[in-house]
Amino acid sequence: MTRPSPRTVRRLIGVLILVLWEAIPRLGILPELFIPPLTKTLHVLWLDSAIYAAALLVTVYEVAIAMLIACGAGILIGSVVGGVASIRRLMLPVFSSLYAVPIVILYPVFTAWFGIGSESKIVFAGVYGFFPVMLSTAAGIRTIDEQYLLAARSMGASLPQLVMRVIIPASIPTVLAGLRLGGALTIIGVVVSEMLTSANGIGYLVTKNRTTLDSPRVFAAIIVILTLSVVYDIAVRFIERRTLVWQTAGRRDTSRPARAALPAQAAA
Amino acid sequence: MQHVANVSGERTGVKAAVEVRGLSHVYAGRDGAVPALQDIDMNVPAGRFVVIVGPSGCGKTSLLMMLAGLRAQSSGAILIDGRPIDKPDPSRVGVVFQEASLYPWLTAVENVEFPLVLKHAPRTERRDRAEAMLKLVGLEGFGSRHPHELSGGMKQRVSIARGLVQDPPVLLMDEPFAALDEQTRMTMGHELLRIWEQTSKTVVFITHSLTEAVYLADEVLVMSARPGRILDRMAVDLPRPRTYQMMATEEFGALRERIWQQIRTAP
Repeated sequence: MTRPSPRTVRRLIGVLILVLWEAIPRLGILPELFIPPLTKTLHVLWLDSAIYAAALLVTVYEVAIAMLIACGAGILIGSVVGGVASIRRLMLPVFSSLYAVPIVILYPVFTAWFGIGSESKIVFAGVYGFFPVMLSTAAGIRTIDEQYLLAARSMGASLPQLVMRVIIPASIPTVLAGLRLGGALTIIGVVVSEMLTSANGIGYLVTKNRTTLDSPRVFAAIIVILTLSVVYDIAVRFIERRTLVWQTAGRRDTSRPARAALPAQAAA
Repeated sequence: MQHVANVSGERTGVKAAVEVRGLSHVYAGRDGAVPALQDIDMNVPAGRFVVIVGPSGCGKTSLLMMLAGLRAQSSGAILIDGRPIDKPDPSRVGVVFQEASLYPWLTAVENVEFPLVLKHAPRTERRDRAEAMLKLVGLEGFGSRHPHELSGGMKQRVSIARGLVQDPPVLLMDEPFAALDEQTRMTMGHELLRIWEQTSKTVVFITHSLTEAVYLADEVLVMSARPGRILDRMAVDLPRPRTYQMMATEEFGALRERIWQQIRTAP
């Protein structure tokens, strides 16, 4: 018998979790208050689909704006911090330390400043997602291979050409890694702030239904949030694959070894 | 000083492609000024293949960077193709680095045409030119590969094609084959000579390998440890085209031995 592939095993584990989710409360191993059966949860989600859709729309809107802020400001400030040595020496230790601060402590302050509507969520999640984007952009620009720059200069590149044709493409992989993490953090930021103080959004539905001990509706909200995160992850990975053909292929391409091996024999 | 006896360019009446006069370089180290290069004189007639050898840290690479206009010297003059060089000029000097330093996000042909893109050359013209260069270095049909799909030797071929794409009279090479395995290195040396003979470029080539130096060169310049000075200028009169069999000859061994003695006993 052949060993099942990791993908098959992963799928089996997924199915197993779903089965257990249904079986454990049904068999009375755990009370339904702790874990409502999967079918019951999905049924509630279907019944209240209009409510969940409206809440999801609010959450997605907040996440989108927060991501724009986090990515825009992160890339902009990250480039300056990474590219200008004097600013880097001055600011990088400060930013690195701030990254370790649990920024959620600022959220009450933001609600005081921006109210309990979408604005405070957007600002909080934007700040939350900003740091990884900023830090990885700075790192990406700082760690560019000196040889790339030297070679470009030897070919007569001007400073704008150096930036456009070497520095930006060379730092894309690191920046993308930061965007991926920063984007995920903005989703967390929005949901957490909705759970804390809010009157709308998916996070609000979690809190509201928890206070009334309506477990199926809490879990329905959790399913929606999970779906949002997974869709985000798939989208980012798709973008990474499209933009980084050269990089991903260089590191883990096993699909076309024949093509890579051939030239080694053909020449040199 | 040795350089007084070495104005070969003027003597033979061939125009100097690379001329260095009284070049010295001092850089600011932690404990004050450090002399890196001292009284370098070079006269490389057009079409000649000159190899520079010397111990690590003798300033060979610094010298090459200065010839490329990538670094400024403290004093002395550098003329490339008869004119001073104070900033990179790819129409006069092509540079090939030790690490092929190809851009991984560009294909081979895009890497080769990169200098032309910087000059805003028309698309078809630069593509044709780049394809022709790839053919010259023996990589016809490999243009759409990314660098990670090429072997070490092929990457250096692309790098040479890139250095030649603007048809500069002078090609500077900084230990281009140092990272390659022995067999590939031999093949690449042979290939370089073929390309050199086809294009009649002036080549200044830096290496650590004495065998490579004798095999490739018309003239070998031996440099001392820091501060780098030119200890010896040695003409290599082996016939062209060079063959691998020559490496076994007594003459080849004697030349190699002479360089080794110079480097070993260098002050």
